[in-house]
Amino acid sequence: MNAIVRITLVALYAILGLAAAGRSVVQITTKFSEAPLAYSISLLSAVLYAVIAVAIWRGRDKLALWGTAVELTGVIVVGTLGYVESSWWPDETVWTGFGSAYGWVPLVLPIAALVLLVMGRRKAATGPSDPAPASAAREN
Amino acid sequence: MEFFEGYIYPLVLGFSALLALTGIVTLLWIRAHRVLTWVVTAAYVVTLIEVLAIINALLGGGIPLVITIGYLLAAIALMPLLGIGRLGEPDAAAEDPDPNRPVLAPDQIARVDGAVAIIVAIAMSVVAWRVFEIFQGVQ
Repeated sequence: MNAIVRITLVALYAILGLAAAGRSVVQITTKFSEAPLAYSISLLSAVLYAVIAVAIWRGRDKLALWGTAVELTGVIVVGTLGYVESSWWPDETVWTGFGSAYGWVPLVLPIAALVLLVMGRRKAATGPSDPAPASAAREN
Repeated sequence: MEFFEGYIYPLVLGFSALLALTGIVTLLWIRAHRVLTWVVTAAYVVTLIEVLAIINALLGGGIPLVITIGYLLAAIALMPLLGIGRLGEPDAAAEDPDPNRPVLAPDQIARVDGAVAIIVAIAMSVVAWRVFEIFQGVQ
């Protein structure tokens, strides 16, 4: 994956992780009994964002792929259930309304990350097309 | 609270717009990276002023403590992301045994800093807006 895109993704996931962690910590410490499922999912999403950020930074593409796939599944499932079974959700999670409270970034980001990660793996499998990439990982 | 709403909130929003604009210009024109580094330094100062204003409001009492402190910490936590491109400098990468650590050329560092400046500018303005909403709710 292009180094610029990679670090930008890390920053995006770090900020989203920060937002989700803050939200879940406040929700869990102040009113967990009101909506345990919703707040637990917020915490899960925070952990997931942190894992994906570290995985992308460390070049663990397989872990990042799995993480973004789980994230996208979570956004779609929670977003859909929010409309289908609204009684299950006394309060919102990060993924409620497909992440509408976060400008739909939780929906768009895993799709973009998945596309970039898959493209990166394909490129790596077929060999570098650029003979002298300035952004290549350090040669050891 | 009135001080935050009247002066600090508009300051942070205006500054966020400037930061985002400088980030966009840097992405398009690498030479603007020099200007971006000055704006990033100013971002630290603006955040310091914002944090002091929030602490001042907190000391005044009557504000939800946990959530306000959460946003206060979020405002501080965003700052290290500005200039994240420096992690890709050869000197920084050389100290890391990880072979996957990216090494960036100067133009790539500028582009990374530009992109991250846009993201952080949006996050900064959202944090300030959320604090503003909390303060509005108290009044």
